[in-house]
Amino acid sequence: MKMNIRSLAAALAVFATISLSAHAAPADRYLHVKVEDGTDGGSVNVNIPLAMAEKILPAIHNGKLNEGRVVISQADTNGVDLKAILDAIHAAPDNEFVSIRQKDQDVRIFKSNGNILIKIRDSEDKEPQKVDVTIPLSVADALFSTFHQNELNVSAALQALDQAGQTLAVTVEEATQHVRIWVDEKNSQ
Amino acid sequence: MILLGKIVLGTASSLVVCAGILCSEGFVCVDVRETQPEVHHIFVVAPAMLVPICLHFVPADKLQNASEQVRPWMPAIRAAAQSLREQADMTLVEVAQSDQHVAVKKEGGSIVVDVKDSQDTVHVSVPLRAISSSLEEISSSQTAGKS
Repeated sequence: MKMNIRSLAAALAVFATISLSAHAAPADRYLHVKVEDGTDGGSVNVNIPLAMAEKILPAIHNGKLNEGRVVISQADTNGVDLKAILDAIHAAPDNEFVSIRQKDQDVRIFKSNGNILIKIRDSEDKEPQKVDVTIPLSVADALFSTFHQNELNVSAALQALDQAGQTLAVTVEEATQHVRIWVDEKNSQ
Repeated sequence: MILLGKIVLGTASSLVVCAGILCSEGFVCVDVRETQPEVHHIFVVAPAMLVPICLHFVPADKLQNASEQVRPWMPAIRAAAQSLREQADMTLVEVAQSDQHVAVKKEGGSIVVDVKDSQDTVHVSVPLRAISSSLEEISSSQTAGKS
């Protein structure tokens, strides 16, 4: 009898733990955009709850955006099969795939820890430009998770972004302007 | 005397209920302060429920253009309003320049827009429910003969 009560208590404890973890609301994530202009000291901050974007996107039916999917033309991709490239990157180990070094430009694309990283350094113009992009592979996968080759599933990409860690980051730095896009769990910057 | 008391009590109760219903969607608040060229201060607080009610009485042909433009976006607006209601208070957009500051925030159940520059200050607060119901009213507005 004593054993039965212990077993029941243990079973209840396990059930309670599972129930609590199942009902614990995942932390909301927010997409942040920050633009700083050094010339006039101006700045633009945008904070968008990802949950809100996930709900809005499927409700938009306008132009090339329908039910969270964007139609892209062959001209947009210059005939390149982006999904095939993504599959190849998936299968490959962490490595540098593209490295273009020119006199005034340096472009590197590589895979690292489940992310695609793009680094561009451009000093061609008077204002040197530095672009860093980090895209989780899960987000890129979701983006191409449609049956049609000429579609991008933005809605699925947002959901993947919501589940991914704090990895998505785009930074563009010019002499006078800084742009940063990232995702985290804070609703302010 | 008792009858008069009953009438007064009934009227007072009705007024309280009407006021309660009218205020149930919160208040629209507009506060504009101008310092140049003349000092002006406009401060309006009105029950938010009045906005869709007033819109209901606007001639349909006056709202036709707005209605046609807003209608395709209503599913997205509904989704946004619903989602925003569930969000904690936050700043959605903030634009700052040397002499100007604009902020769009979600505060309580309202969307608040604050604009400040060297001369003027504008504060507008509109309950989300009022925005939704007003846009629903506009989108459902149709001129006679059009379906």
